[in-house]
Amino acid sequence: MSLLVPCPTCGERSYTEFTFGGELRPPDAPDPEAEFERVYLRGNVAGVQTERWFHALGCRRWTTVRRDTVANRIEGGV
Amino acid sequence: MSSFDLDGRRIPIEPGDTLAAAAFRSGVRTFTRSIKSHRRRGLYCLTGDCANCLVTVDGVPGERACVTPAHDGMRIRRETGWPSVERDVLSVTDHLHWAMPVGFYYKVFARPRWLWPLAERVIRRATGTGRLPVRGAPAGRARARSARCDVLVIGGGVAGLAAAATAAAARSRVIVVDEGEPGHALPPGGARTIAASLEAEARAAGAEMLTHHTAIGIYEGASVPLVGPDGLVEVEAGRVIVATGALEAHGVFPGNDLPGVWLSRGAVRLATEHGIAPCARAIVLDDGTGDGAAEALRGVGVDVIEVRGTIVSANGGRRLTGVTVDTPEGRRSFACDGLVLSLGLSPRDTLVRMAADDPVTVAGDAATPGCSIEDAVEDGRRAGRGEPVVAREPDPWPGLGSGGFVCPCEDVGVDELEAAWREGWTNSEIVKRYTTATMGPCQGALCSRHLAAFAAAKGAPSAAGGRTTARPPVRAPRLADLVGGVHEVIDRRTALHGRHVAAGARMDRSGVWLRPGTYGDVAAEIRAVRERVGIMDVSTLGRFEVRGPDARALLDEVLTLDVGRVAPGRTRYLLALDEAGYVMDDGLLAALEDGGYLLTTTSGGADRMETWLRDRVDRRGYRAHVLPRTGELGAINVAGPHARELLGALSDDDLSRDAIPYPGHATITVAGVPCRAVSVGFVGELSFELHHPRSRSGDLWDALLEAGRAWDVLPHGLDALDVLRLEKGHIFLGQDTLPDDHPGKLGLGWAVAMDKPAFVGRASLERMVALPLERRLVGLRFDGSPQRGAPLAVDGRIVGRVTSCTVSAALEEGIGLGWIRAVDGAFPPVLASGDLRATVGPTPFYDPEGVRLRA
Repeated sequence: MSLLVPCPTCGERSYTEFTFGGELRPPDAPDPEAEFERVYLRGNVAGVQTERWFHALGCRRWTTVRRDTVANRIEGGV
Repeated sequence: MSSFDLDGRRIPIEPGDTLAAAAFRSGVRTFTRSIKSHRRRGLYCLTGDCANCLVTVDGVPGERACVTPAHDGMRIRRETGWPSVERDVLSVTDHLHWAMPVGFYYKVFARPRWLWPLAERVIRRATGTGRLPVRGAPAGRARARSARCDVLVIGGGVAGLAAAATAAAARSRVIVVDEGEPGHALPPGGARTIAASLEAEARAAGAEMLTHHTAIGIYEGASVPLVGPDGLVEVEAGRVIVATGALEAHGVFPGNDLPGVWLSRGAVRLATEHGIAPCARAIVLDDGTGDGAAEALRGVGVDVIEVRGTIVSANGGRRLTGVTVDTPEGRRSFACDGLVLSLGLSPRDTLVRMAADDPVTVAGDAATPGCSIEDAVEDGRRAGRGEPVVAREPDPWPGLGSGGFVCPCEDVGVDELEAAWREGWTNSEIVKRYTTATMGPCQGALCSRHLAAFAAAKGAPSAAGGRTTARPPVRAPRLADLVGGVHEVIDRRTALHGRHVAAGARMDRSGVWLRPGTYGDVAAEIRAVRERVGIMDVSTLGRFEVRGPDARALLDEVLTLDVGRVAPGRTRYLLALDEAGYVMDDGLLAALEDGGYLLTTTSGGADRMETWLRDRVDRRGYRAHVLPRTGELGAINVAGPHARELLGALSDDDLSRDAIPYPGHATITVAGVPCRAVSVGFVGELSFELHHPRSRSGDLWDALLEAGRAWDVLPHGLDALDVLRLEKGHIFLGQDTLPDDHPGKLGLGWAVAMDKPAFVGRASLERMVALPLERRLVGLRFDGSPQRGAPLAVDGRIVGRVTSCTVSAALEEGIGLGWIRAVDGAFPPVLASGDLRATVGPTPFYDPEGVRLRA
């Protein structure tokens, strides 16, 4: 309920307005091995993670933020 | 004189009465029966903390009589007992105690299993709780609103108001929430004066007061839902100060639940605020704090005997008749009809115990029960400044006696805790679950501390003997309040919804949309499309325009087809894969004359497609606009051998194959409505999807029906569409597919331009297509009437499943789609589906050359 996500267009809004997009991953990989990791493996960080959020009930833009997954606190935008 | 009705009896009301006070004045002593043993329960705390006075008020169960103001004409029902609270034959259960040991349900009804559903019905009727009205109109949902603040103060007593005044003075946005008015719970006198000046200070500094609101929980964040007279308020607070005060410690000794046993504040409140004598002769058990209970009771004419010592037992049957006390002079018994307990204070800390990781500060009595007013002010000031509150030595606390009810809500006694411990449940959290102590309506307000003390006295290590975790709701909210906070699921309706309903269509929920399933006769709807002409509202299709210099690059990355090969004016089937190479969505790509693109997706996939496209735009920095047009464009599909003639009757534009090629599109005007006509093939007949401004959908629909009379046009719904597309072997994404289907498994390899250097999912797809195909979707012909979902077997071994099927009128046989696994490296050509024989065959079943589409 309470997590506030900083949206570059709309300011801080409740996370309930957003769709979670998972951890930030590169859009491409240089070789098949890296591509396999990119597609199938996740860091699952216990700590600060860079991740994607989509402001579905707002401006409908993506944003990238850093969130502490243990404390569930957003540290800021990227 | 105003009055209310209590179980058919008229109860007069005096000014300032609560339901409990008025009823007590009229001689009511038993307010409810206990949940299991049906023991009489009378007024006890009068502060809204215990569950002894829960009644049904005007049909709403579980209301606390002691804090509910009485109004003229209310209808109050006591909730328990049969036939009535006063004469309850079920009180026999109190004498069957030996037959209902702790863990009764687990032990007695474990076997035979069939007994439990029967037993449950009996037990549900026998247990003492309010009944929800299951008949009649639903109560609806309460309104909900959100509020933000820097500091939320829960409890408008001395500590809370001091905190609010200090925080507000430091320019924080402050909200104070109180169950009543600020200061209402304080005893008259000095404390109320101090509270009043603190309240004025807080208000002057800008603190917002939410009176008659109750905080029912603290959630992560901190997020605090409040229930108030106008519904639910969801507060997002930077930090929370809990200043909920303390309640008097619950005394645990044999007979402690008899009507006539009071927490002293309850007895005093009755005497001082309502002028009612709680009893004729009271034993006031004085712990030395001298809180003036004896004096207050004498003031209303009670014969008070002050006694020092430890209670051995409270005696009596229907109500208290005497008390046995171990005094310094030895064990003594007293005859009395009132026992007033002043055993110390317990923090009202349920909210705190559910907020271990949240920014919560506890202040005043809730932190240090029994602290002075000066200490409470200092606590509040510190908490208001955001400083930690100084820990102080709490009041002494009575602990457990030798017997009696630890948890009066759930009828759990000391002997039950002992039995649970003997059975090996040696942890306070486990004892809680096994005995249900602390799990009643008061949510452990009375007994949570006793349970922890019990475990500690048993020598449990601190981790296993601590206070149990509390969970919301702290107070019982109405269901209407709870659903007030739920975001509504909004059905989407097309512009033609009203017309479908008026035409008698059965409206089906399809994802977020309401769509016509059929207008009544599916077979006739199918025949109309195959033999004449039919129309369908397809406004639910996802539509996006993609424009800008990088539009083509964006689409080439997201779609599997080679976008460059789609000439302006032409249309192509599109597939979008996810990164793992699995099919995410399908649709059509139309290249527009001006260099832009129009994308159509499945009705359910529109949102995901938009999210997907926007992610790429954002990540790659493409100069491309994604313009959602689903909401503003209506679409009607006109299909059938006479489709072109029907449009011709309403349009002067060139509708020939040269003007609107297959697959292709053109802008035309139909019945005065500007349309983009897309020539499509989903149903297998000559057909045109007319995308048009939503505001004109009605005009276009009406005109098509009117002009279509010449060919007996019929509108059709999803049921007919399901058969029409199946005859063509076209898949419904989601119905015929599984989450891990790559295009090859669906026979859609032709839709993937593997000669394109890069697109989403390509690398994964390459890996997968290099492996032998272990499962694929196939067309099936049946020698009978197939069933959707039926297994497909070879030699009794299930190797697949029917995903779509019908008995086709056009083909006069059973057809379907289904997936099958390879058996020994080959796909079986014939399978058994129940008693039927399913033969794998090529699709489309109907018009395999597509002659009819290109007409």
